[in-house]
Amino acid sequence: MPIPSKPSSTSKVNLEDEDAEVLQAVILADSFNKRFKPLTVDRPKCLLPICNASLLDWTLEGLALAGVQEVFVICRSHAEQVKAAIQNSKWSHPSTGLKIVPVMTAKETFSPGDAMRDIYTHGIITSDFVLVFGDLVSNIRIDEVVRAHKDRRKTNKDAIMTMVVKQSGTTHRTRPKGDSAVFVLDRDTSECLHYEPASGYPPKTLAKIPRDIFDGHPNIEIRNDLLDCSIDICALEVPSLFQDNFDYGDIKRDFVHGVLASDLLMKNIYCYIAKEGYAARVQDTRSYDAITKDILSRWTFPLVPDNNHPNGHAYDHLRGNKYIPKDNSVVLSRTCKIGNNTLLGPSTQVRDDAQVIASTIGARCSIGTGTVLRNAYIFDDVVIAANCVLESCLIGAGVWVGEGSRIGRGSLVADGVKLGPGTGIKAKEKTTPMIGEFIGDESDEGDVDSELEQAEQCQPSLSQSLGPNSDAFVWPRRVAQRNGEDRHENELESFDNRRFMRLGDDFADLDLSDPGSVTSEDEGSSESDGDTVPQNATVFSSATSLPSAPAVKAVSAGEQEFQTEVRLSLDRAFSEGHSLDNASVELKTLRMASNVPLRRVREAVVAGIVENIPLVEGAVPQRAQIKKWVDRWGDLINLIGGVDGVETVSILQHHCASSTRFHLFGQILAALYQNDIVEEDDIRNWHVQPEAKGEGIKNSDLLEKVQKTWIVGARMIHQLNEQESDEDDDSNDAESEGGDSD
Amino acid sequence: MATEPQTAAGQRPVEALAAKLRRRQVVGSRETALETALVLRQVVSKARFQNINQLVEIIRSVGQKLIEAQPKEHTVGNTVRKLLHHIREEYNNASKGKATASVNEFSIANFVLQGQPRRQIAALKGESTLVLKEDDLDDPDSFARTLKPVVMEAIQDILDELETVYDNIGKSAKDHIHSDEIILTIGRSKTVETYLKSAAHYHKFTVIVAESGPSYGGHDMARSLSSSGISTFLVPDSSIYALMSRVSKVILGAMLFLQMVASTAARAHSTPVMVCAGQFKLTPLWNLYHEYGALDFADPSSVLGFEEGELVDKVDVVNPYYDYVRPDLVNVYVTNDGDHPPPSMYRLVKESYDDEDNEF
Repeated sequence: MPIPSKPSSTSKVNLEDEDAEVLQAVILADSFNKRFKPLTVDRPKCLLPICNASLLDWTLEGLALAGVQEVFVICRSHAEQVKAAIQNSKWSHPSTGLKIVPVMTAKETFSPGDAMRDIYTHGIITSDFVLVFGDLVSNIRIDEVVRAHKDRRKTNKDAIMTMVVKQSGTTHRTRPKGDSAVFVLDRDTSECLHYEPASGYPPKTLAKIPRDIFDGHPNIEIRNDLLDCSIDICALEVPSLFQDNFDYGDIKRDFVHGVLASDLLMKNIYCYIAKEGYAARVQDTRSYDAITKDILSRWTFPLVPDNNHPNGHAYDHLRGNKYIPKDNSVVLSRTCKIGNNTLLGPSTQVRDDAQVIASTIGARCSIGTGTVLRNAYIFDDVVIAANCVLESCLIGAGVWVGEGSRIGRGSLVADGVKLGPGTGIKAKEKTTPMIGEFIGDESDEGDVDSELEQAEQCQPSLSQSLGPNSDAFVWPRRVAQRNGEDRHENELESFDNRRFMRLGDDFADLDLSDPGSVTSEDEGSSESDGDTVPQNATVFSSATSLPSAPAVKAVSAGEQEFQTEVRLSLDRAFSEGHSLDNASVELKTLRMASNVPLRRVREAVVAGIVENIPLVEGAVPQRAQIKKWVDRWGDLINLIGGVDGVETVSILQHHCASSTRFHLFGQILAALYQNDIVEEDDIRNWHVQPEAKGEGIKNSDLLEKVQKTWIVGARMIHQLNEQESDEDDDSNDAESEGGDSD
Repeated sequence: MATEPQTAAGQRPVEALAAKLRRRQVVGSRETALETALVLRQVVSKARFQNINQLVEIIRSVGQKLIEAQPKEHTVGNTVRKLLHHIREEYNNASKGKATASVNEFSIANFVLQGQPRRQIAALKGESTLVLKEDDLDDPDSFARTLKPVVMEAIQDILDELETVYDNIGKSAKDHIHSDEIILTIGRSKTVETYLKSAAHYHKFTVIVAESGPSYGGHDMARSLSSSGISTFLVPDSSIYALMSRVSKVILGAMLFLQMVASTAARAHSTPVMVCAGQFKLTPLWNLYHEYGALDFADPSSVLGFEEGELVDKVDVVNPYYDYVRPDLVNVYVTNDGDHPPPSMYRLVKESYDDEDNEF
């Protein structure tokens, strides 16, 4: 008897959970990319400090602010470090009211999608949850978003996700240029109708919007000014959808795009345009720079260094957004200059004539005489000797920089590097400690090896720039290999696009045909007249979704297999008398399995119905047979996903024209019309199409038949017209006599 | 110590309030003071102590934690100070009967206090059998048992005072505001609102409300005043100086925006400035920083929209919560204890708090 007792006990727990409404959150504490390398060589990205507190602390503080009670931290690389960091932080204290559970995932988790599948298999989620990354800085009241999401779920079970976005303008520093998106929203409900990912290079100049979203949504906003905050409220179905679609990698680019583009899933995703609050992800070194500036200029209030520092430091806020520790441990020389938007860590020393401008400095650092730091982000325990110039760079913990060194824009210096006096690191170079100490990320060992080989070759020339007594390994600047590289890397991670994610890169040499102006122009025109269909959008969608000559096209092996499968399944359905729902589910699955366009399924269904009508002698019994058959199975045509009467008629026409049952066309069409499977307007619209007349068909025999069917259609329209005028007369005469006229 | 787990349990509400203060989930002076008093009540009810020093230490540590969480909200510290003051007072009164003289040094604070009649003293006197046995080894809880009800009563007094603060401040309103006066006030302050409304029962006068950007609390203030029948004008902040020549009095609530502007303008026109605030807002602390440091800075979004992407990168926005009014700009302070000219404010502070509690 233990088996029945167990589920009952778990269901009890679930009930209790529902009563308590525990708000759960999932933090994906891995970036799944290498944008911060080499800083992330021996620590996970979520433990990189920003404004002297680790990214994970900022994220947890943001969640605690929003009243989240239970947090699952999904860690992959350096999982032990993440676990230890959580244990040693204030969050492990019971009084914080936050229950944090670190969840280790396999090394084979390569994308957020894999992590979501992992969440699904762990079965840790019990209700709608908040999904964030471990690099989020946010003060948005997420609980309000969750409430809005849950209210929506009460009326619409298919609203599976709410994405938090913020209006930021097209050129905001915090909006990632390399990884943004065009959102198509319903203006009234802010339902996200379409998601078009965009990258910085090649610049996106054209957004393709499926035309069917314009039906039923009269007020549409096409927006290119939204900053994706990466806070998603997900329903329980979301991990299971990831499980079903094993190829979904990225949450936005694959999942959101996929769900919205799919006409099978019938799920809705909504946007929450945050009016108040701030949220952004430290996705790359460029956004690291932007978000540091946002924190220092207090956009994240009350989550600012002098008020609620996640690491527990106490800072004084001085005029010009300068943050100096309260404990008086900082030693500032009388002649040093501390510029605006600067944060100094505890026990840091800034010596004579040094300048620190728009930079953050970690704890226990020393800045030498006459050194200039501009936009430099320096982690803990760094020693910078006299007369150095550091600009727009990230310096890892424990780095030692010798006298008179220059570190150029966009450089990353890994933890523990020693740079001798007079080192000149050119822009965008990365340094790591000596090769012996360099341990690559196990997951991409092969990649590292080849890069290492390449780097070693250039090492003699590169290491000339290092001063004496250096302990460093300079990675060569990668040059764009436009042809070779893009083969194995997707658009997002391509070299040129990644330059948009890099600190201190002004992309002056990139050929950008001003992507901003083109898209904003589009936006302007479509926003001003939201209910008209943008010209280029229709053209493209029709080109993609309607292949012109379907039946005669050569079919690939996969499609052939699909067609046999569909035929078999239909035969089974017809002979065994399945219910319409079951038959349609079977067809949908088949379609998903072989990834064919919807039209193919419709063709197969129409063909199946037409071919299976029993042939009998005489027009009247034949009509009865057709009626019976269409009554039983006709609805299947529309159940397989999406109603498109015009397409149905045109498929029927082409099928009949190429089949022996050519003479049944008129009667079947009439039967479809009687059963409301096609509407009168559909027949009219089909009839005016040039293809309906057989345009573009070479085969003379086929052409003749097509033309004949067209004439049949013309006759039917004529009949409909007459009927309409009759009906008009009838209704004018007397309504009660309507029955007689039939 | 054996009491360790118990104090840990007592810490939970303290931590919770500290987190709330840090996250600005509790804002507003009165709200904060109330929350602090409630937390103190919880702490004291659970605390175990054998002598006065232990009790004081417990309360001080709570105060320290809460002040660290929100150093800019002085009412937290004030509430704690006030409670400590009450406890010492009770203790001194109780132990006075004993042969041993009070160990507390004789400061001007308790010098003034000796003459102050207090309600608790009467209660205590009826209970002359209140014997405090400190550090009693046989019965370590006896001290706590006798003192706790008294302390709880003191906390209740603080809570009562906070609850009636607006009414008490309003009491003197009719003496300060006369018929046909033109009063200027800025932004929204519950204290000033009640003050003006209670004056409106006796006199007919006009109120000019400056809207106080960027929070525009003045809008609510004007709406509330005019709904209770006071003739009210809402004016932009920029016109304060121009209007000042017509204004007969400036009434400010403590902790408001832009007071500096209004009070300097008032000084230029020799218009009297009154500040209305509950006594719990009085703090014995000095403003050690320059004029800037007493302030609190909010996020720039109410001044510069986040959507102004290009500007955000180029402009530094300073959006202060409060402004600092120099004491020489204020003519009268009105508290729930009555009216005070600036020179006698020190006395009020001395009466309310003990010097030794200024720093936790």
